[in-house]
Amino acid sequence: MTGELSTGLGLDRVLVKVDGTIIIDGITCAIPQNTVTALIGPNGAGKSTLLHTLAAALPLAEGRLWFNGSDLLAMPRRTRARMLALVEQDSSTELPLTVADVVALGRIPHQGAFGDISLADREIVGHALLAAGMQDFANRAITGLSGGERQRVLLARALAQEPRLLLLDEPTNHLDVSAQLTTLNLLRTLAESGVTVLAALHDLTLAAQYADHVIVLNHGSVVAAGPTAATLTAELIGTVYQVHADVIPHPRTGRGIIAFSPRE
Amino acid sequence: MLWFIVLSVVLITSVTVAVTIGPATITAPDVWGSIVHHLGLGANPLSPLRDSIVWELRLPRVLTAGAVGAGLAISGVVMQAITRNPLADPYLLGLSSGASLGAVAVLLLGSALLLPVAAFLGAALALALTLLLAGMFGRITPSRTVLAGIAVSALAAAITSLIIFWTVTGDSYREILGWLLGSLAGARWPEAGIACSAILVAGIPIMFSGRTLDAFAFGDTSAATLGVNVQRTRWIMLTVTALLTGAMVSVSGSIGFVGLVLPHAVRLIVGPRHRLLLPLSALVGASFLIWADTAARTFFDPRELPVGIVTAIIGAPVFAVLLARRVRS
Amino acid sequence: MEATPFTGLVGVQAFPFLGRQVAPSDCSADTLMQPCPSEVFVFAVSRTVVVLSVAALSLTGCAAGSGGTPTPTPTPAASAIDNCGVSVPITSPPQRVVTIKSTSTEMLLALGLGDRIVGTAFQDGPVPARWSADAASLPVLADKVPSQEVVLSATPDFVYAGWESNFSADGAGTRSDLAALGIRSYVSPSACKEAAYQPSKLSFSDIDAEINQVAEIFSVDDSTLLANQHATLAGVAKDTRGLSALWFSSGSSVPYIGAGIGAPQLILDTIGVRNIAGDIKDTWAPYNWESVIAANPDVIVLVDASWSTKEKKIKVLEDNPATAKLDAVKNHRYLVVPFAASEAGVRTVDAAEDLAQQLKAQTFG
Repeated sequence: MTGELSTGLGLDRVLVKVDGTIIIDGITCAIPQNTVTALIGPNGAGKSTLLHTLAAALPLAEGRLWFNGSDLLAMPRRTRARMLALVEQDSSTELPLTVADVVALGRIPHQGAFGDISLADREIVGHALLAAGMQDFANRAITGLSGGERQRVLLARALAQEPRLLLLDEPTNHLDVSAQLTTLNLLRTLAESGVTVLAALHDLTLAAQYADHVIVLNHGSVVAAGPTAATLTAELIGTVYQVHADVIPHPRTGRGIIAFSPRE
Repeated sequence: MLWFIVLSVVLITSVTVAVTIGPATITAPDVWGSIVHHLGLGANPLSPLRDSIVWELRLPRVLTAGAVGAGLAISGVVMQAITRNPLADPYLLGLSSGASLGAVAVLLLGSALLLPVAAFLGAALALALTLLLAGMFGRITPSRTVLAGIAVSALAAAITSLIIFWTVTGDSYREILGWLLGSLAGARWPEAGIACSAILVAGIPIMFSGRTLDAFAFGDTSAATLGVNVQRTRWIMLTVTALLTGAMVSVSGSIGFVGLVLPHAVRLIVGPRHRLLLPLSALVGASFLIWADTAARTFFDPRELPVGIVTAIIGAPVFAVLLARRVRS
Repeated sequence: MEATPFTGLVGVQAFPFLGRQVAPSDCSADTLMQPCPSEVFVFAVSRTVVVLSVAALSLTGCAAGSGGTPTPTPTPAASAIDNCGVSVPITSPPQRVVTIKSTSTEMLLALGLGDRIVGTAFQDGPVPARWSADAASLPVLADKVPSQEVVLSATPDFVYAGWESNFSADGAGTRSDLAALGIRSYVSPSACKEAAYQPSKLSFSDIDAEINQVAEIFSVDDSTLLANQHATLAGVAKDTRGLSALWFSSGSSVPYIGAGIGAPQLILDTIGVRNIAGDIKDTWAPYNWESVIAANPDVIVLVDASWSTKEKKIKVLEDNPATAKLDAVKNHRYLVVPFAASEAGVRTVDAAEDLAQQLKAQTFG
């Protein structure tokens, strides 16, 4: 799809190079607003790179990005930071910040250099902690948390930014099953309340269960994109992942469960 | 906020008390009377000669100590935030080694430049070399900058040692050693002027960058997504810190441990948020160095220790304690 | 020859920046003498190896000692002198002496032993006029502390140093190393650092004692020299005006001054001037300007050294806004003493005499 979209996230011939190597090879696609879109693909497909580029953390070699009609890269940084948030896969600090401090960092784009944390900010921080299920950890030092707990704190920080576009890089990596489901439910809730969510997911079943749309990436190119059920077919998965795949309906939700078996 | 008031009071008290302490016996009221006279109010209770002890020696020295302490402390805070390394100190980018080289050139080779100017040029040169080296192999990252700084420091230190061995004789060792260890013995009004100007010009802007420094807590990508212009901020912060540190080192030599340990100590009391950490570190740094220098010039009266020895004696065990606490928590 | 210690030694000594220079010297033109057989044996079993000595040994035969005619002396009172804790045996008088620092060179010149000197090092300034003819021909081994190799290349049998620290492993060699090579070493006793040996307060009898010791070692008559020293001393007019002085040796932000127990104190006592730092129990010591200003000395003694000239010192005093207000600085009440004469030695009496005369010329309004 080409042409500027007035809603949703649009990519037009996006080319990204890292240290001279092309990682994202000129992709064009659109993600409708207020949905949960899963970004899937094998390791090294470029999912992380794409997310970082969308967050303007990596430079664009060619192409354009826009969100809800605005050119993402042309806007001032702070404006962009108030609009989109990125939850990284592995991010940590050695500083003895409390969980509340970390989540409060998400308010920086809204505060300006001289600003301090206001009462309104504290409320938002509280809501973000609640949404991420970390409200009991508010005064704990972040350095003492487990990987999964830290991941949820970083999600809370992103929520505190009050973004319209939420980018997540493998947000369920370190989480146990119930936390995974809680997080993905949260993403769905966010989408319903007006946030466009794009999450790189490793687990295809989770993608099938929770995402409205999928974008399938392989070797830096989009192999397929569209509504989940129609796009995430057994054949596609088999081709991309080089395995036998079967899509079975979930006994409770009716949406797909992906089962794998090795090729002969 | 309360801390701010308390520490400001401590600083002001430190200045007024430290000025009354010294080898020459001058009563405290006489000291303050002399200062008040110079500020335009009241007659001078001291003879011109004794007055010069207060006004030409003690007061500028105490003020310089305060400014240098504050400057080194906030430089340390910024360096630790920018490099995300708790062991970073203001001298990391070759600044103190470069300044030492400049100072040695003046003290031993008899260069015609003024000592502070030569030291500052040395620091600037070392910084330029560090950044050149860090950028030679691609993107300038914090770790590359730190490594380049170590290399440049080693080089400057080697050349400094070379010059010392080549030229030093008899007791000129003492002079250069005092400088290398960090000493405020030569601090008069010009030095106080340099140090205080540096704090105003470089320090105050740094003080306002608290939230920006907070944003670096989780790395460059995090900071970028929080709306910070990472490259530009890093460059500006490094340059301003380098200017500040360069100015301080040019006036007092490389006083160690203040930039390294004070940020940690203050962080323990008020937490890691930079909006508080920066101004409070400045206040604590100022008071600390004023007292360290007072000890240095009176403990072995009438001999003087270079203040760098005192800061090291206090700083090293404090650092060990801080380290132990980190490991335990 | 052991390769490893040798290369190590050469490796250490070869770096030019250690500040040692060997001037084109006359010693290479001299016949290189082979030490007597007993010393060869000692050398052969020693650890340290020097190529030049080996070459010298292999080339030449024994040669007679050159130098002054030894005066026949009666049997020495002791067979060894305890010099700063090292025993210096009194055997045959030394014939080839390396002197380090001016005080050593001048002591030998004063005793008429200039012809025994085969090399000087670390001289602090020109010798007084009366010896300049003798001194002109003395070979200069190094500007600063000579390395052991340089010292040994002059094949001395005696090394006379002005500072104990001259005898270090990276200096002229430790005294035990030199002894193992059959070379006796001697340090000016007033410069000993250990408490047991350092004079608790330097006096002229300490200097006389050194003259006695050196004369004994070299088997010469010291009575003329002693008589001259005492006569000069007796002629020094002690000032009676109750003046005080600062003995400014070096430094700028931290002054390094003559303190209470060394040559500066002795000289100031002799000329009748109080040392403002006289209560410090050290020979020289670092000080602070505040105390100087509080004491407000009547005169300032400036030590004139090539690395810290009197002009530089005056500039330091005048540039410092606090010291610029001192009466002594405002009125230029300076007494100048050359560095070489400011350490304990044969010139101490001369320094006292000279300073007394300079002081007489100073008027106080």
